[in-house]
Formats: sequence, C-alpha cells, structure tokens
Amino acid sequence: MFGIFKPRTFFNLANTSLFWLKIILVFALIAGLILALFFSPIDYLQKDTVRIMYVHVPSSWISLFIFLIIGISSFISLIFKLRVFSVYAKSLAPIGLVFSLISVVTGSLWGYPTWGTFWSSMFVLVLTYILYVSLWSFIKNYNSAEKVTNIIGILGLINIPIIKFSVAWWNTLHQPASITLTAAPTIHSSMLAPLLIMFFSFCILSLIIFLIRYKYEIINFRVNKK
Amino acid sequence: MILEFFKMGGYGFYIWLSYAFAALSLIFLYYRSVKKLNSVKEIEYTYQSEKAENLSISAQVNRF
Repeated sequence: MFGIFKPRTFFNLANTSLFWLKIILVFALIAGLILALFFSPIDYLQKDTVRIMYVHVPSSWISLFIFLIIGISSFISLIFKLRVFSVYAKSLAPIGLVFSLISVVTGSLWGYPTWGTFWSSMFVLVLTYILYVSLWSFIKNYNSAEKVTNIIGILGLINIPIIKFSVAWWNTLHQPASITLTAAPTIHSSMLAPLLIMFFSFCILSLIIFLIRYKYEIINFRVNKK
Repeated sequence: MILEFFKMGGYGFYIWLSYAFAALSLIFLYYRSVKKLNSVKEIEYTYQSEKAENLSISAQVNRF
C-alpha cells in the first residue's frame, strides 16, 4: 500500500532532480516577483500594502499544508509502524516552521498599516511547530522522540481547520478568504496570477529543501547505525 | 521614478521589510540544510575511506 513511499524513492529523486528543480525555481521566482512588484495593480482600499499578500498568503498555505502532511505522516507512522513517515515529517517540520514565521511576520506587517494593529491568526501554528521541532532536538532517544512527535503531529492537526476557517467563522479584522476550493476566486486575475506563481515558487523551494533535509536524515541515520 | 517605486506609495517600509524577512529566512533555511547535508556526507565519506583502507590492508596481509 505504501510501496511508493519507501526510503529510496525520495532519496533517488533528490539525487536526480535537484538541479532541474532549482532551474524551475529561479524562473518561477523571477516571474512571480516581477508580476507582484511591477505589474500587479494597487488595491483601492489597501493601496500598495496589498503586495505583501504575494508573500503572506503562499507562506500561510504552505505552512498549513505542511502541517497537514506532518499530521497524516505521524498517524501512519504511529499506526502502521512505518519509520520512513516520521522521517518525512521530521524533514518537513523546519520548512513549515519557517513558512509559518514568515506568515506571522508578514501578516503583522500587512495588518499594521491596514487595520492599525499587528495581528495574525497563525501564531498558534508557529508555537505547535516550535514544540514539534524542539522535541526532535531535545529527546535524544530516536524511538521516544518519534513516538512523542507523532502524538504532537496528530494533535496539532486540530489547529488546521481552526486556523484555515477562523477568518470565515469569527468576525475578526481579517477579511474572508478570496480563494477557496469550493467557489470561484473573488480576486482579479491580475492579482491572482502573481499570487499563484509565487505559491508555485514556494512549493518548488519547499520541495528542494525537503529533498536536501530528507537526504540528510537518511545518511545521518545510516552513519549513526554504524 | 525609482524612488517612487521604493516608496511604494508611503508603505515601502512594510512591504520591503516583509520581502526581506521572507528572503532572508528562506536563504538561511536553505544554507543550513545544505550545510547539514554536507557535514554528514563528509562523515560517511571518511567512514567509507577508512573501510576501504582497512580492506586493502587486510588484503595485503592475506597475501603475506
């Protein structure tokens, strides 16, 4: 059932695809930044601050999505005793932490000139990520660290729908989401294009860093075993 | 005109700070990951070199 997820799959992918992923990243990032900073129109209400959206929104999506993968991997690792899934989760966690930090900082920097206050709903997710990454660092026994982080990963899943839908459920300063999976986007195509290209760039960057960290974890595991 | 671009309608500080923070954080994460991988690769390379050396010594000893 989980044959495709065996350790060698991503290890080989890291050896063969990193160069091409970096080439794609450079082109996508340049295109995204040019569109976001030069060609994207200013918002009638938020003026130029809307350009922060092209960093804030993709970072938020990626940090939420990464935690979703961590939660699912933790569940599979705990139930089916497949260690490779905890290695996936461990390799992904620092990436999710950095993107959630970017989301909080850019969200606050966007919120202050717009609403007059530093505000971000992603703070809880940052704390969960910090707890998850710290546990891997502080617990020296691999088996114990694996068990504890798997539990944190599963419990942390509760945050995902709360953070994702908080902008719709509660009447806060944050505007409702402009892009959802169930309805057509309410954002103009001139803003949607740079947003999606920046999201794509961040996805490619996340994949590159994940492959590097995954390769590190596998070699480190082999070295420690010797 | 260039100055106007950097001012971003008076919001330049917030916008450039956001982009700078994102760029620096991601560059830091990337280089830290590469550094960690290189360090562990070095350890493995040293181990394999030692192993190969030991094998060649034992082969020489066997010849005697």
